[in-house]
Amino acid sequence: MMYDLIIIGSGPAGYVSAIRAGQLGLKTAIVEKNVIGGMCLNWGCIPSKAIMESAKLFDRIGSDSARFGIDGIDKKAISFNWNKAIKRSDGIVKKLTTGVGFLLKKNGIEVIEGEAQILTANSISVNNRTLEARNIMIATGSKSPEIQNEFEGLVIEPKNLFVEREIPDNIVVTGETPVAVELAQAFNLIGKKVTVLVPGDRLFPFADDYLVNQIMAKLKKDRVKVIFNQPLTNTQGVWENGILKAGEDIACDMIVNAARRKAILPTSEIKFDLTADGYISVDENMQTSIPNVFAVGDVNGLSYYAHIGSAEGMHVVNFIKGIKQKLNLKKYPMNMYTVPEAAQIGLTEKEIIAAGYDYKVSEFPMSANGKALTEGNLDGAVRILSDKKYGEVLGVQIIAPNATDMISEAAAYMEMEATVYDIAQTVHAHPTVSEVFMEAGFEAVDRAIHK
Amino acid sequence: MRYIFKFPDIGEGLDEGIIVEWKVKKGQEVKVGDSLVTMETDKVVTDIPAPRNGVIAEMFGKVGETIHVGEALVEIEMEGIAGEAAVAEANKIEAVEEEGAGVVGTLEVAGNSAVLSASTEGTASNNSTDLPSDRKALATPVARAMAKDMGVDIHKVKGTGPGGRVMKDDIIAFAQNKGSKPTTSSRSTSLAMDEILTEVVPLTQIRKTIAKNMITSKHNAAHMTIFDEVEISKLDQVRKNYKDNFAARGSKLTYLAFVIKATALALKKFKALNSEMDMENSQMIYKKYYNIGIAVDTEKGLVVPVIRNADKLSIFDISVKIAEYSEKARTGTISLEDMRDGTFTITSYGNIGGKFAVPVINYPQAGILGIGRISKQPVVMNDQLAVGTVLPISLSVDHRIADGGETARFLNQVMSYLADPVSLLME
Repeated sequence: MMYDLIIIGSGPAGYVSAIRAGQLGLKTAIVEKNVIGGMCLNWGCIPSKAIMESAKLFDRIGSDSARFGIDGIDKKAISFNWNKAIKRSDGIVKKLTTGVGFLLKKNGIEVIEGEAQILTANSISVNNRTLEARNIMIATGSKSPEIQNEFEGLVIEPKNLFVEREIPDNIVVTGETPVAVELAQAFNLIGKKVTVLVPGDRLFPFADDYLVNQIMAKLKKDRVKVIFNQPLTNTQGVWENGILKAGEDIACDMIVNAARRKAILPTSEIKFDLTADGYISVDENMQTSIPNVFAVGDVNGLSYYAHIGSAEGMHVVNFIKGIKQKLNLKKYPMNMYTVPEAAQIGLTEKEIIAAGYDYKVSEFPMSANGKALTEGNLDGAVRILSDKKYGEVLGVQIIAPNATDMISEAAAYMEMEATVYDIAQTVHAHPTVSEVFMEAGFEAVDRAIHK
Repeated sequence: MRYIFKFPDIGEGLDEGIIVEWKVKKGQEVKVGDSLVTMETDKVVTDIPAPRNGVIAEMFGKVGETIHVGEALVEIEMEGIAGEAAVAEANKIEAVEEEGAGVVGTLEVAGNSAVLSASTEGTASNNSTDLPSDRKALATPVARAMAKDMGVDIHKVKGTGPGGRVMKDDIIAFAQNKGSKPTTSSRSTSLAMDEILTEVVPLTQIRKTIAKNMITSKHNAAHMTIFDEVEISKLDQVRKNYKDNFAARGSKLTYLAFVIKATALALKKFKALNSEMDMENSQMIYKKYYNIGIAVDTEKGLVVPVIRNADKLSIFDISVKIAEYSEKARTGTISLEDMRDGTFTITSYGNIGGKFAVPVINYPQAGILGIGRISKQPVVMNDQLAVGTVLPISLSVDHRIADGGETARFLNQVMSYLADPVSLLME
């Protein structure tokens, strides 16, 4: 039997593509060697957000209750129960993965459990069966880079973190990624002592300096130690009896490996061109060096965001169906679940300068926003970077408790190629945190009202 | 406070114009009525007057660029008025009377949101989302701003965005293709040779319009032409007698004035010739006003200003009007208002040359009268051979509307008025 499309991997890139393919009438199969939903649903996005909510609530009850008029909370009397928080998270994950399974079935997708091996550009083998397809989509995802370790339980991959376990007091998180900072902050909120080891000399390689500086300041304020230029590849000779040597001695009972992830390459009889970093190299339509074989999501190294993987996958399905579209990754939001959250879209200020735009930065602080004040959130701001010639919105950055939700407004502006005049003319309800957009829009056109 | 002045709707269904010449400079002070810019539209070359006192803060578009109605022309920093007052004023005045200020009679200012707070980002202005709502192209705000800036007609750009939306990249691609395409691309002969043997000149708006109108007329009207000659020695005598009198009153008495008067009066008796056919609704529209267009030759091409209610005007009034239009034609200041609402047209080519012609009807009018060269000719009067003054006339009618008999009778009436000018007074 000939499939129109076989997808390897059922994470957000793979399963969304499968549903879309089913909707468009393509005969589609999806091969999953582990669990439907992939990293994001099962061990990544969803569990980490569930735990983060627990951690934020815990912190808030302890530190904000009295100020918000709630008496009777003894900060010393409350404690964080990791395992209970994990149970809540597991419930959410179960609900979502069941939902995905249902959607795949509803759209006529054949789900095959097993590990796929690519045989030719038009065939794969799974469970000793050979399947033929006109198109193959690789959506196998990514994994943490390896840290060699002999000490049992010392190094934890994010994939294995969100299970019922003991959480020790001294935690080291390695990595330059938003996930590394997010986990560090979550542990910090529940009262752990946390150190971030950054392999290079800056956090968030793809983020605007503004966001990086704001988050660095927040980490400093919360006493989360950040040490730069400390790549960690082996614990041997570096860790001993609860002390990690990383330029200095750090108390360390657990190392969470959240460094920039590496591609999980599928087993294959045919060879693909790879990038210098070992990701599968793709063209603007996510096609690999082998025609009709596509690579979407983390495995192509273009991005590590679930929603971008999904967008890439849907683009491929449309491409196969002959629906022409352009894929512009710069129009997709980058969300960072730090505390407060950070998000950006479009070009960074450095990229804008490099592109030679005559640009303007319009900033509006949360501290001047009524709703943010009532919520007790003074940190953060929205920044709109626009070109002076046409008023085009070139980039937006947000730091706010709900920045990852708010960035969607900017995403709509980018998708529709809006100008700052459009933002300024879009009436935002009061009181809302989103009013900061309108104010920054006013600022871009002339000047903000409440600033 | 700054006021964004948009290219006004100057009527006649025009939706764009080309900038011929800027009359102002950035930073220059202007008063209401001062000419800002000379624009060439489909029908006229006209000056656009300033609607406000102030200082020119920004000018949008370069010479040769096409500006659509509703798009920004200039930004004026208004003096003496600040903040809300300026907004209030701008909202209040939607139609600006410009009597005597320029050639354009009434300017309807497109849109009422033309005031923007002072801003250093003026170039994109706020009208990017504010184009005329009829036939608005589906395009992103940035694409609109860019198209305007680059002089690209956004309606001609094929959009590649969702639902065919014109995106920024489409404008860039369109502008690039346009720029690189040689004007004689379709020819196989070498370009160098072409350039020596021919001169390629882009069509002016006026020429495009003339071409369009001529084709429309020839396609739609069933042309039928009748020729005749009328002996006008009596008229000639009257003209000679009153020439000096007119000159003393500051006007020139021409044969044309009589022809206009005669035609207007004749039209009153033959309503078919002062009508138009509305095929769509299967009806005739008979006009009870007699506005005679006179075809005037100008450097840029033919224009047809209209003498309104010619039936009610005296020969002198008509002469004054003819003189006024000649002067305007010479200086290129005939306005759209001058050319509106004609019901019948007279083309007088005799002073240039030619006796008879087959004039093309100024569609949707029903007829056009051609006046040839007047000459002395032997004529028979009272069975005697005499020297007569003969005016050749060519009348084209839309044969859908006017039958042969009616047409001939109408022509007879015109000729009878001209042969016996006193009869013009007897109506």
